Amino acid sequence: SETEWLVQHLQGPAVPFRRFIACPRLARTVQQCLQGGASPDHQPVLLEYAPGPGILTRTLLNAGVRVVALESSSAFLQNLQSLENSLDGQLKVIHGDLFRLDPLGTGPVKPPAMYSDQLFETMGVAAVPWRADVPVKVFGILQQRKERNILWRLLFALYECSSIFRYGRIELNFFISEKEYKVLTAKPKDARAYQALTVLWQVGCEIQLLHMEPWSSFVTNSKNGGLAVPKTMWLPNDHLCLVRLTPRQDLFAGSLKPTNSLPFIFTVKQCLAKPKSKLIDRLNSWSLDKGGKLLKELEIPQNARTRDLCPEGYRRLFEALQTSDMFTETWFHDDALESIRNI
Amino acid sequence: MSLLRLRAALAGTARLRGAGIPWSVLRNYSSASAKERARRNGICERTELLEVLKARVKQLQAGSSPELGLSKVELGDAEQQEPLQQALAAGPQQDPAPRARQESPAWPRGWVEKMKKEMQQRQLKVEQRLSIAAPEPAPESQGEAKPKSKAKAKKTKAKKSQKTPKAEVAAAWSQSPASSQSACSHLEPRAAAAKKATKVQRPQQGLKDKDSNQFKVLQQTIQSSLECFLFLQQPEEAERLLLLYHNSPAKRRFLDINCYNIVMQSWARKGHLHRIQCLLSMLESVGLQPNLDSYAAVLECMGRTLVSPKTVRRYVQQLRTDGFHVDELFQKCLFEDDGKEKVLKVIRIVQPNYQLPPPPEPEICKSSLLQDFYSRDKAVSYPKLEFSVEELQERFQQQLELELNNTVTIQSVEASKPLTPQATQARALLASLRGQWQDSVLQALQHSKRQMSKFKKASGHNLLYPYLCLLPEEEYVSIMLQILSSLSPQGVSLVVLARELGSKVYDRYITLRKLRSRQLEKVQEIYGDYIHLLAKDGQPKEYLPREYWEKLVAEAGFGPSLNLKECSWPFMVQMRLGMHLLELLVQATKVPRNILNPRLEPKLVPLLYHIYSFQSSWQVGLLKPHPAFSQLLAEAAETELTFNSSAIPMLCPPVPWTSPRFGAFLLNDTRLMRFVDGAAQHQQLLERCPPADLHPVLDALNQLGNCAWRINRPVLDIIVSIFNARGDEKLDIPPPLSEAPRPPAAPGSPSALSKSQKQELLLCKKKAAEMHSLRMDALYKLSIANHLRDKVFWFPHNMDFRGRTYPCPPYFNHLGNDVTRAILLFAEGRPLGPKGLDWLKIHLINLTGLKKKNSLQERLDYANEIMEDILDSADRPLTGRKWWMTTDEPWQALACCMEIAKASRSPDPAAYISHFPVHQDGSCNGLQHYAALGRDLIGAISVNLMPCSVPQDVYSAVAQQVEEFRRKDARQGVKIAQVLQGFISRKVVKQTVMTVVYGVTRYGGRLQMEKRLKEIDEFPEEYLWEASHYLVKQVFNGIKEMFSATRDIQNWLTESAKLIAQSGQTVEWVTPLGLPIVQPYYRSKSTVLNCGMQHLSVKNSSGDQKPNTVKQKNAFPPNFIHSLDSTHMMLTALHCLRQGLTFVSVHDCYWTHALTVDVMNQICRQQFVALHSERILQDLSEFMLEKYCSPGRETRAQWQKKLTEQLSSVPKTGRTQGRNCQAQEQFGDKGEFNLEEVMNSTYFFS
Repeated sequence: SETEWLVQHLQGPAVPFRRFIACPRLARTVQQCLQGGASPDHQPVLLEYAPGPGILTRTLLNAGVRVVALESSSAFLQNLQSLENSLDGQLKVIHGDLFRLDPLGTGPVKPPAMYSDQLFETMGVAAVPWRADVPVKVFGILQQRKERNILWRLLFALYECSSIFRYGRIELNFFISEKEYKVLTAKPKDARAYQALTVLWQVGCEIQLLHMEPWSSFVTNSKNGGLAVPKTMWLPNDHLCLVRLTPRQDLFAGSLKPTNSLPFIFTVKQCLAKPKSKLIDRLNSWSLDKGGKLLKELEIPQNARTRDLCPEGYRRLFEALQTSDMFTETWFHDDALESIRNI
Repeated sequence: MSLLRLRAALAGTARLRGAGIPWSVLRNYSSASAKERARRNGICERTELLEVLKARVKQLQAGSSPELGLSKVELGDAEQQEPLQQALAAGPQQDPAPRARQESPAWPRGWVEKMKKEMQQRQLKVEQRLSIAAPEPAPESQGEAKPKSKAKAKKTKAKKSQKTPKAEVAAAWSQSPASSQSACSHLEPRAAAAKKATKVQRPQQGLKDKDSNQFKVLQQTIQSSLECFLFLQQPEEAERLLLLYHNSPAKRRFLDINCYNIVMQSWARKGHLHRIQCLLSMLESVGLQPNLDSYAAVLECMGRTLVSPKTVRRYVQQLRTDGFHVDELFQKCLFEDDGKEKVLKVIRIVQPNYQLPPPPEPEICKSSLLQDFYSRDKAVSYPKLEFSVEELQERFQQQLELELNNTVTIQSVEASKPLTPQATQARALLASLRGQWQDSVLQALQHSKRQMSKFKKASGHNLLYPYLCLLPEEEYVSIMLQILSSLSPQGVSLVVLARELGSKVYDRYITLRKLRSRQLEKVQEIYGDYIHLLAKDGQPKEYLPREYWEKLVAEAGFGPSLNLKECSWPFMVQMRLGMHLLELLVQATKVPRNILNPRLEPKLVPLLYHIYSFQSSWQVGLLKPHPAFSQLLAEAAETELTFNSSAIPMLCPPVPWTSPRFGAFLLNDTRLMRFVDGAAQHQQLLERCPPADLHPVLDALNQLGNCAWRINRPVLDIIVSIFNARGDEKLDIPPPLSEAPRPPAAPGSPSALSKSQKQELLLCKKKAAEMHSLRMDALYKLSIANHLRDKVFWFPHNMDFRGRTYPCPPYFNHLGNDVTRAILLFAEGRPLGPKGLDWLKIHLINLTGLKKKNSLQERLDYANEIMEDILDSADRPLTGRKWWMTTDEPWQALACCMEIAKASRSPDPAAYISHFPVHQDGSCNGLQHYAALGRDLIGAISVNLMPCSVPQDVYSAVAQQVEEFRRKDARQGVKIAQVLQGFISRKVVKQTVMTVVYGVTRYGGRLQMEKRLKEIDEFPEEYLWEASHYLVKQVFNGIKEMFSATRDIQNWLTESAKLIAQSGQTVEWVTPLGLPIVQPYYRSKSTVLNCGMQHLSVKNSSGDQKPNTVKQKNAFPPNFIHSLDSTHMMLTALHCLRQGLTFVSVHDCYWTHALTVDVMNQICRQQFVALHSERILQDLSEFMLEKYCSPGRETRAQWQKKLTEQLSSVPKTGRTQGRNCQAQEQFGDKGEFNLEEVMNSTYFFS
């Protein structure tokens, strides 16, 4: 009831809509999911994004997990801090917001916005090489209104090895809406779900579904207590899905590098902007004139549509483009640079 | 001011479809910040134009954009589902939809509407596919078997999927003959019928409105295609298309009488009477009545063949039995070519003595404001120009030639720069490339036409084919290639390009039509006589230009045939045509990729590439030129600029406006009222309006357009010299791109840059793009000015929907910035007279922005004091002390300095002939109108309606008032009031006060305040929000205190508009001069055009959509005030004309010769008093009560009662003191402002 009171308290025009775990059963399920898979002797620190009333936090602490709680709302901060004080360093509470990390502007930042190096310093985690084990696990429920935006921003950070990914392969465990999960895990040729986001996430991460939970299991801070389930026309959307996104160890093993990943993202976005168009037409329309030959080499049919190509295919296509001299033309880079800033 | 300029520029491009819309203007959509965009939206819908440019991605749409779940609706409990289904299945006649929706709980409504919207979109797409690729074979033999079976198939299909609401919507739609009929009757030319139709239509809402909107689009498409065939003289094709629809019972409802008439006309041209007889019997079979135009076609046809008098008699008899009169044929039908003569010949077969009906007596406007102006006995002769008839005739020929060519190529001002060998080489390469493109594009066009005609033969009708046959093929090619040279290196949105191409083809088509229908010959003949009114050696006097033109037309017996039949293409057709041409262009143009880098192998790559730019969930398709081509263009530094002929000021006096569709340019299609694409309601409103009511507006526009201009050459030369050197940002001369900041040299590939370097690179690019667009804008203006340097020219005018007037040529006109204004002079010179030199000096000081709070005498004294600086500026503008550069408007100040120098050095300054325009500005004109409406004494004083020895400053006054409130609050211990001590100044409140008139809300006002406070370094940041919140409240209170009636009036206007919009209607009113106004704000609806290269999402706004309540209500007060200030301007213009003054205006800034400033000032004040002596608000209230709440309807809905109450409670104004006496006592009698005082107020306009 205290939880509910707190959540209800979190209303007002400036407060964003949030979803919380309030039931201990769900908390336990999540805790088990989070701990599953990893060896018991190496348990990296868990960064819990927006714990709110702290139901899950307590469950995790009881299970012996080291937790860093990143909370943006001062309404919850006090409670969490008193919990922090009652423990012996197993919990660390930070005032901040995972999705307001590394703001683009310059100048001093005020919490909850902060820089990632600040965060990691406070957490006491040092950067590890990309191929090393996961240094930090992150758990959170994605803010519904910004869900897609967040997924894009994380992608850019992942491919550029910037922000939190500068510290290694951070494992992301997120509750996302079912329709977005369907997008992330879509197969080629799926007319509705197979998107640029799909390709880029599948190339970048291993995607693992840990758990599905109906929307109604979560508590929201909306005024009328409504669930505010995002509407969807084509994809099922009855659950929130707990998804584990683990950056691939071999992501940068080939000729794809953090330095040249922008054109890759750009290429994929451009291709899938019109999924029914032919891949060869796309390539030709950018004056990458050896399109036909390239496709032949990669054993891609000449009449393939952009949505037919699997994520790995895009990666190989890009690597082939890299090695040919086509990408030396500067305009492609310029456009790539420009287009990314508009997410 | 810059905002105004931007809007003017946009308005210009919006109207001037043909003018090569420069990307520099239109690119704003991507560079403007969201806030800027929001601000513009708030003020003026016109800028919406830019928003239209967004193309929507299906993919993202499916993922994240707001959408509705079909499954959701189905899952909804029975109660909610029932009204929904009712609404969907609603027959158009019973129309229970709105009621059903009112009963349903509030929340599902959004879903229902959204779903319907999407359904409709899809439906339209389906329908379009049908109409484009109608796969049925052309039923040559009128055999009905095939179409029928096709229709059956369609029906069964519909049945199959009837479970889903989608199919139900589709079915309801395709089976609504009633809606089709109402739309048909709407198009009937007879005014009474149209009126009836609109009345009937008004209460209809919901489903049907949306349907009829799409219905109309389709109907227009058919009609315009038929007109193409008429133009192409292919009656067989026209009939084929008609039969395609006629023979299908499902599609027949798209045809109205006009469609049949067009086909009849095309047969009439060829003299095939039996075909027309067939069509008449077809008409009968579908239950349509032939109208006047049908008979005109029959008679014309008979005039072209040999027929027996018996046949003629039969048709004439039938015409009479249908309730028409033979005279009406000649009074109402718009004949083309020699149609009229043919009809007359036929009539004379049966009535040998038939005489043409006498032209109708010219009607005279009855507005009480213009009784004097129009009274015959006081008519004064029209002021003559300094040209002879012969000279004007010659100028007319020049202008005609210009417009016949459609485009004009001029040398840019950069031509004077020396040519480098590199440039010569680049130009040669460009020329050879262009030659290649010419061939390849032509081939592509021919190929695609062949494909289409093959397809057409095989399977019916191709939508675009006729539109690709209208012009000679070479013209299509040159229109397409023109696009290339103006393409921005940053890329241009596909929507913009497609629209530009489409409208260029349309404009050219209109020109050809005018030529072919011999309309031009007639205009030429009338114009030849018309100039006698204007020429110094011409005889006629005592006419207004419009009156004289009408008289000449009547005498020549042309009747209404000088007007071209309405033949605009639906927006969708234009877009599709544009997209098709664009696709051809992209396919056909290639460029060698090794221009930039000779090491690369010489291979041809596409010149244009299609790329998406992403903006959150939207993506905009762009077309970019290959960088090699941009580079080549830059190297060639070509100095030729090509403009549409309508972008150049006219070389002869414009054709006077005589109707909403006739006036301004000789050939270029110009509308009296500018509108955004697809918004036809203004034009409909104007056409429904009695002609005499429009006379004052037309005459005022003619007066503004008849002002002759010339170039101030010395000033132009100085500006061009700076422009061709390195520009000067301080003097508002944009520097060339070579002055742009350079990004730091990149080490290696761009991907190796660090984040901050990337950031910097982006900033540099952005800055360069901005600079380039500013530079191009200035280049266009200066080049046109330079082109006209030795000529006399005219700016034809039209107006926006509120009656604000604008010159038609978009780039170079007197509404432009300081630079453009400085190079314009009146062509007519007048002696300075005794006070002229003083006015010049005062004008100069006004331009400097100094001495704003001083009296005129003090300003004059100051000018005399600094005479040395003035003369120095005039003599050595670039080498001397450069006093002029320090002023607010440096270039106009410089021009004025030069004029003063010349005048003061002439032997007799009073006799010095000056061409210089002197300005008089209204001080916070919007508030002036409010203060006068409400007769606020304090307010009137603060905006200079009351005589005072020095000009009053309303901003300081408000600041003082706010400071007083603050002190009071601070004493009572209000924390924020104490914090604000010492921070309240004129500057802080100025913007908010200025924008109050234009409807700024508390929200917007607070943002403005916050910005101002942020600029003050000492202000503690943590109080920003609270302080701005407090301040905006106090400013509003202060204004309320000073202009006690203003807020009441504003609130009344807002509240009325809200109720009107909520009842599903748009806000309409009539200005005191009789101009009908409708606010064109609708809930936007976009249609997806499925084109090969990309899906285009096009917003369309037409009269059948629901009004946008927020915009309707927020924009009403400012629009109403604008309609008043435009009325004041027009009244002043007309009365200045009667006094023989030269007069032009930039909204609330009036220009005339120095000699006549005093007279103009007097007229301006007189007309202000006259205007506000009218019962403005009472008239408004009565008009709206009549329009929206006319009694006599059986059911008076709740909203109507509420609206009636609202509209009846007119706020207190000078005329209605009685009712509010009590209230006045309560607030303490502040005294009432006596309107007559304006007459003696020096600083009212100064």
